Amino acid sequence: MSRLDPPRINRRSFLSLASLGSFFAALGTAAAGMLRLPNPAVLPGPVRRFKLGPPEQFSPGSETAFAEQNLVLFRDDQGFYAISSTCTHLGCTVARSKDGFACPCHGSRFDSKGSVIGGPAPRPLPWLEVSRAANGDLVVNADNEVPEGTRYRV
Amino acid sequence: MKDPSRIYRCLLLVASLVTVGYLVGAAVHENYLAQWKVVQHQYQDILRQKATDDRGRELLAKFRVEMKQASIPALGAVDRCVTCHNGIDDPRMTDVEQPHRTHPGHILDKHPVDRFGCTVCHHGQGAALTFREAKADDVFWDYPLLPPEMTEATCVTCHDAEKLPPDQIPLLTAGMKLYQQKSCGSCHKLGGRGGALGPALDNEGAKTKHQLIMTSLRPPHTTWNWQLAHFRDPGGVVPDSQMRNPTVTQREALALAVYMLSQWKRDIPESYLAPDKIEQKYRALHPTPLTGEQVYQQYCNACHGNGSYSRWDKKFKRFVPAIRGVSLVSTATREYLQANIEQGRPGTQMPAWGPHAGGLLPDEITGVIEYLRAGAPTAPAMTALTLRGDPSHGLSLFLRNCAGCHGMNGRGGLAPEIGNPVFQRAATDEFIIGTIRNGRVGTAMPAFQRPEAPTLGDQDIADVLAYLRTLGEQKGRNAIAQNVTLSAPPGGRP
Amino acid sequence: MAETATREFLHNLHELPHTVKDACFRLGKTPESEREESQATFHNLFLHIHSVRVHVRTLKPTLTFGLGLMATASFVITIITGVLLMVYYKPSTDLAYQSIKDIHFTVSTGRFIRNIHRWAAQLMVLTVLLHMARVFFTASYKKPREFNWLAGLGLLVITLALSFTGYLLPWDQLAYWAITIGSNIANSPRELTDAIGITKFFDPGGFQKRLLLGANYVGQDALIRFYVLHVFILPLALVTLLGVHFWRIRKDGGLAKPEDPMGGLAEWGGERRAVFQPLATKTYGLMALVKGKRPPVNRGPENTVMSWPHLFWAELSVFMVTVAVTLILSFYYDAPLKELANPAIPENPAKAPWYFLGIQELVSYSAFTGGLLIPVIVVVGLALIPFLDRRPGGEGTWFGTRSERAVFWQSFFFALAVTVGMLAFTVNYGWLRNWFPNIHQLWIIAINPGSLLVLIFAVWSLFILKRKDSVRLAAVSLFTCFLVGFTILTYFATVHRGPNWHFYWWPSQWPVH
Repeated sequence: MSRLDPPRINRRSFLSLASLGSFFAALGTAAAGMLRLPNPAVLPGPVRRFKLGPPEQFSPGSETAFAEQNLVLFRDDQGFYAISSTCTHLGCTVARSKDGFACPCHGSRFDSKGSVIGGPAPRPLPWLEVSRAANGDLVVNADNEVPEGTRYRV
Repeated sequence: MKDPSRIYRCLLLVASLVTVGYLVGAAVHENYLAQWKVVQHQYQDILRQKATDDRGRELLAKFRVEMKQASIPALGAVDRCVTCHNGIDDPRMTDVEQPHRTHPGHILDKHPVDRFGCTVCHHGQGAALTFREAKADDVFWDYPLLPPEMTEATCVTCHDAEKLPPDQIPLLTAGMKLYQQKSCGSCHKLGGRGGALGPALDNEGAKTKHQLIMTSLRPPHTTWNWQLAHFRDPGGVVPDSQMRNPTVTQREALALAVYMLSQWKRDIPESYLAPDKIEQKYRALHPTPLTGEQVYQQYCNACHGNGSYSRWDKKFKRFVPAIRGVSLVSTATREYLQANIEQGRPGTQMPAWGPHAGGLLPDEITGVIEYLRAGAPTAPAMTALTLRGDPSHGLSLFLRNCAGCHGMNGRGGLAPEIGNPVFQRAATDEFIIGTIRNGRVGTAMPAFQRPEAPTLGDQDIADVLAYLRTLGEQKGRNAIAQNVTLSAPPGGRP
Repeated sequence: MAETATREFLHNLHELPHTVKDACFRLGKTPESEREESQATFHNLFLHIHSVRVHVRTLKPTLTFGLGLMATASFVITIITGVLLMVYYKPSTDLAYQSIKDIHFTVSTGRFIRNIHRWAAQLMVLTVLLHMARVFFTASYKKPREFNWLAGLGLLVITLALSFTGYLLPWDQLAYWAITIGSNIANSPRELTDAIGITKFFDPGGFQKRLLLGANYVGQDALIRFYVLHVFILPLALVTLLGVHFWRIRKDGGLAKPEDPMGGLAEWGGERRAVFQPLATKTYGLMALVKGKRPPVNRGPENTVMSWPHLFWAELSVFMVTVAVTLILSFYYDAPLKELANPAIPENPAKAPWYFLGIQELVSYSAFTGGLLIPVIVVVGLALIPFLDRRPGGEGTWFGTRSERAVFWQSFFFALAVTVGMLAFTVNYGWLRNWFPNIHQLWIIAINPGSLLVLIFAVWSLFILKRKDSVRLAAVSLFTCFLVGFTILTYFATVHRGPNWHFYWWPSQWPVH
């Protein structure tokens, strides 16, 4: 009997398929679990919900920059609003300019309400959610955006 | 032909199924059975019930089931307590069950969780996400959660206890007072001041359970529980403890335990310190002298009592002399007392109290001498002897009359050790002669030259004195070696 | 022309899924003949290290118990989980402990994956040791496999080093004090140099310790050194040597086996026939498997089966069994993590990982003899085995030579009695220092329970050599003695040693701390 002309063989069987199937199922489950690991369950570092103190300390018409928190808090007749000072282009911190905000990295410019008036920025500076904590302090949640023009009334 | 790999395929099937099973089990365990998730769902329900106005509805809408933490890099803390204690800063949550309840008092107004975290005050394992591991009574963590009433111990991390309102730190205030009343400083050093018989207590609060003997302690085996039990019964917690039972009530023990736990030299960023804390540190460098009576009360009282009578000490196995007795202060010179206080009595339990040893200021030593001598005649009656003594005759007299109490070679026993070098240096001939002649009222030392029936004549006393002076020459080295071993409490805490 | 190119492009685009698949999988279907099965094996980078046919004995579970494969599988598991842990682990004394706590408490699947890493590492050490015992007792180190025995010994050392370096990384009390002890074992030649008064001129101990720790104490420099060793240098060394180890298995003709005897029988075409004996003068090689015009050489009946799929089923199943075992252990038992490292408070007892506890027991008599001299003697002794025992016979069979099993059991009970007796003696009566407090350190270094055990085992082995007149049997007796001694010492130090290294019947009797 020559090996050059071997008989056809068929090794498929229920056992083979079941064991191979369960092996790949195990592999898949394990991979799914392992892929969950790199995604942090809780973000390290201080919370990005900033307590800015009692609302009374900001007079109507005022504008307060919080450099560490990367936001500017405004109060006008209609209420409070906060604008992020992180450029929507590639994340540099914008500086206050004559007519609004200007980004030093790639020349984006925004007006004082955050709308783009020049440069590569694709969208206006985000307006951040303003709310109050349970104890009455003003809170800005830098992780939540609100539509432009939203005011928080105290 | 039999299939050679059939067994392996069966094995693969079984192993793979087991693997899938345990992976799914682990996933369910982590994602659906986690304690904090259950707690947060409960809290969500509470929020729903309380969502009666706009603010309530806003808070409900904002609530998300997720891990929460206060990360305070300046304090090296990542406290996840707020993952379960969700209502900690919500004033509406006063009527709900723990862990949802509002933090009591107005503490959080000035100590927001975002800036201070939780563990800087409460201890416990902030990183944990289950109550058992956060409480850390029986897990591997150095600083378990303090019981609520003992938490005031940590206020002094940033505050000067003396400047805080006493009603806010009742136990701590009581503990501080008790420490002075019970004269703990007689044996223990705190802030560089105190005796050397017991361990210094400066960093007592930083100790972990591994530094304390837990064998006889009923669980929980925590440092706070150890302190509490130890103040009730030192010998019951630490076998062979030299410490006298301070005889305190349960509440007093609690107060002392809180005071001990507050003794922790923690490095806290300056921005966290209350201004009075900085003042307190300055004050510690430039202390105001205490009065003589205060010094006596805090640093002498534990051994000498009120000082009028000598007393037999069971733990020390020797007499503690009466240091305010009339007969002593009428014969002892100021210099004699000062030398004994500043240098101690090597070979006995009396430690040195000079500025570089027990930490008493020169003014305080002067003050306490005044206090000891209060009521003594200003010019003690001292008679000098001009006779020459014969030491060998002195020895036979000593053996007959003195060695019974003062020991062979004057090494002490029932009565003080008169061979020891400080005594030999400090006691003048007049002092020794006066003491032998007149004895010590209030102690076992009799007068050897009572006018009605003198035991010893002047020549005899001169002989004894001559013999005693030879002891000073012989001893020296031995005495110092002995002092070292005696002043460390044998079998004390590790 | 343009139209043809466009059509060709569209055709290629249409065929894209197939062409990509063909490029990736050369066979492209389940093999249906032995030739295709052979191709499946040698056209694949990961499989081609196998021969296309293996002897049926290779697949017999009781020959190897899959121990080598299990060790490899555990290594693969530790590599995968280790890389995942590196995502969160921070090798800094200030951050390491906190990062492990984070992995434990918050990282998704973090606790489970750390447990798996830990258990797979333990399993790896265990299976590597058992694998070595298996190779020894089946005499599989004999010519031409001497080199692979050495490679395996190297792998054992690297495995232990990997485990040891990983022990420090959590920066907890367990880690800190175990590594403090370990690094001072490296320092222990000073015991000898001090005793003969030459430390000032020649200090190999201090040099070793500084090399390991980068300082005189276990600190940040030590941590970063251990980290680099653990995640880069040692795994790289292990992978390389493992490649050599596998390649040599193939080159040395697969697993060691006795020659099929003349006149033995084999299944062939549904009937049993005499096993084909290749002629010494003829080349057979791969010819039967290669398509071509060369004259086919008919091989006769032989006891081999195709590697694809049989061997691969076996390997896959052993891998999966290892995974399952690790998972079960990890599900129920968390990897230990004690309090943050505190240089002021020693762990009591400060125990090394279990596989070093035998050494730790010996170290409690003399650090130099127990920690360095005896391990070196053992490793050198193991390395010499295949070069001193050169007479063929018994390959691929458990206790294959005459009266081997008897010698094994005699040595087993001999070593059991001697080791237990030695331990019982020292526990009850102490050792030289207890009797002669001022004895010179050289005496302690020379005469201690460790050195005595080595001596007694060596004498026993010489006795077997004389009595049985067989190098193999002498080797069997010595190997058995050391295996039994190692096991008992490990067990003894694990269970019966408590705080202050005192003897306790059970850990539950330890004083509470």
